[in-house]
Amino acid sequence: MEAAHAHHGHGDHAHHPYGIMRWITTTNHKDIGTLYLVFSLTMFFIGGLLAMGIRLELLEPGMQFWRPEFFNQLTSMHGLIMVFGAIMPAFVGFANWQVPMMIGAPDMAFARMNNWSFWLLPVGATLLVASFFVPGGATAAGWTIYAPLSTQMGPGMDLAIFALHIMGASSIMGSINIITTILNMRAPGMTLMKMPLFVWTWLITAYLLIAVMPVLAGAVTMLLTDRHFGTNFFNAAGGGDPVLFQHVFWFFGHPEVYIMILPGFGIVSQVVPTFSRKPLFGYSSMVYATASIAILSFIVWAHHMFTVGMPAVAQLFFMYATMLIAVPTGVKVFNWIATMWKGSLTFETPMLFACGFIFVFSMGGFTGLVLAITPVDIQLQDTYYVVAHFHYVLVAGSLFALFAGVYFWIPKWTGHMYDELLGKWHFWLSMIFFNITFFPMHFTGLAGLPRRVPDYNMQFADFNFISSIGSFGFGLSQLILVYVVVKCIRGAGEKVSDKVWEGAHGLEWTLPSPPPYHTFETPPVVK
Amino acid sequence: MTAGMDCSEVAHAAEFSLVARRNNSLSTTGRFLVFAFLFVVSVGIASAFAALGAWMVLPFAGLEMLVLYLAFRTVDRHAADYERVAIDGDRVEVERHEAGRTQRFEFNRCWARVIASGDGGRLALRSHGRELEIGHYMNDAQRLDLARALKRRLG
Repeated sequence: MEAAHAHHGHGDHAHHPYGIMRWITTTNHKDIGTLYLVFSLTMFFIGGLLAMGIRLELLEPGMQFWRPEFFNQLTSMHGLIMVFGAIMPAFVGFANWQVPMMIGAPDMAFARMNNWSFWLLPVGATLLVASFFVPGGATAAGWTIYAPLSTQMGPGMDLAIFALHIMGASSIMGSINIITTILNMRAPGMTLMKMPLFVWTWLITAYLLIAVMPVLAGAVTMLLTDRHFGTNFFNAAGGGDPVLFQHVFWFFGHPEVYIMILPGFGIVSQVVPTFSRKPLFGYSSMVYATASIAILSFIVWAHHMFTVGMPAVAQLFFMYATMLIAVPTGVKVFNWIATMWKGSLTFETPMLFACGFIFVFSMGGFTGLVLAITPVDIQLQDTYYVVAHFHYVLVAGSLFALFAGVYFWIPKWTGHMYDELLGKWHFWLSMIFFNITFFPMHFTGLAGLPRRVPDYNMQFADFNFISSIGSFGFGLSQLILVYVVVKCIRGAGEKVSDKVWEGAHGLEWTLPSPPPYHTFETPPVVK
Repeated sequence: MTAGMDCSEVAHAAEFSLVARRNNSLSTTGRFLVFAFLFVVSVGIASAFAALGAWMVLPFAGLEMLVLYLAFRTVDRHAADYERVAIDGDRVEVERHEAGRTQRFEFNRCWARVIASGDGGRLALRSHGRELEIGHYMNDAQRLDLARALKRRLG
């Protein structure tokens, strides 16, 4: 094929150690991107395994497999591992691989700090997973680790707190790196409003991370001192306020959910125009919509805690502010569809996942609007309706966007085309099993089934059975992804050209596939 | 950190002088504004929580701002990096400014040789067993131009 035809010269020389030391000491953005992606895939399967444990117990009413305490550990750790171990690092992996190539920079701004931010993650993850094996087991207070429940648990909770600290430090360093890279290392001519949407969404995400990560660090440190050093931040008996924890946590937590979706919006905004063979509709409105979502994310946190007791005026404020988010999100969905409108569409796997994303993410958005209505939320708080809602936006949203990104860029990263047939199987099985798993949860939630409980009334048996079967199917379908990725890395697929996709635009497609170890050592000029 | 371009042949007292600067897409004012914005947002949020009793957010925001400050200071120190190649009389001078420090290298014009790879990937001056790689902040085409300009004037 025509891969690497016109590329030669110093850029091809890879001066790096080989073997394990290459990966431990690497400061190369592509290596670190790969490390992030492999790490997050591993954590995705560990988190997925915990989800299988949850659904196994819920297959039938009654207690079958686990003690209730262990079931709570499964739900809590599934959430923590998926959020901090799988989704967030996966997006950082994409940023590492793509941002320098998309803006014409040779590497990230602080290459050594980049290595450090990655290698903190396995340490944090080890602490998290190891907490299952300490006396009392892992944290069972939910991923939200609400006080005072979390101030009473065993050493597993301490390990989770340290893990969050470490992973938070990693995120902060990653964000500083990404902001500096994007702002200071753009190639001449690459003005802010010419940047690819993926870069824009990551810039805004990095701002969000810098704003809220200290809040999480502070929250978990206060938990730690309440647990061991006699402080009473959240202890009502000592003059503290348990509700304060919820405010602090969700002030971090709500921007956090946007941290997990905005780069996904960015990926979809790269994929849709490519397979529509049209420029993105409403580029600038996409940028402003992303910024609006980020700003709004700071004033909606209390919609997670309507039932905690707050003045009616606060309930109204948070309800309306939450509904307002539908406007910029609607702009985005409209723009993606308008991009496809009258486009010359083809449906390769990345496009399938992007379309799947738009469809299911919108459904998750709608249930989000339902939950924004305070009186409705008071009924649905902590039911499976909420579980359905956030899995629609996080699995079918963030995860599908990540899958779209993997299929979109893996030919560029490896130089080999993935197996299209298997990719399509992966999409359709994921899409179908995802909906079999989570759609019935809307009904069980509306009927009042509470989340985080290992047993349920007979009336919920059928829907839970369907959900569990769907989840097993979804879990197994993900093995296809591993097979496809391994096949690509081993070079089994057809070799691809520099511009892998006919409709692709952007600097990364001017580089060979796979790109040499060092790229854009001197920046290209963007016209 | 990045390599960059923005190189221009400037009129100078020397017979030939060329300055190549690092690529910085963010101006000094831009750096200040970005830092100030992040500082106000992060410390503002932390102060609000401190006022509500959750003061432990504050030290973490402070720590984060310290790391951010160090990062931006590093960028700032390298912002003015440049490399100047000049020919003046019988001397070839290379001046390299990096992170506030300036290094000067001198070659004899009659003895200095230009070593350039055909694709412009590498450019160096060699004389008396000493070799100095130049063209740090240039792209391949610009290195080739510089190589041609130097070859015309040397030896």
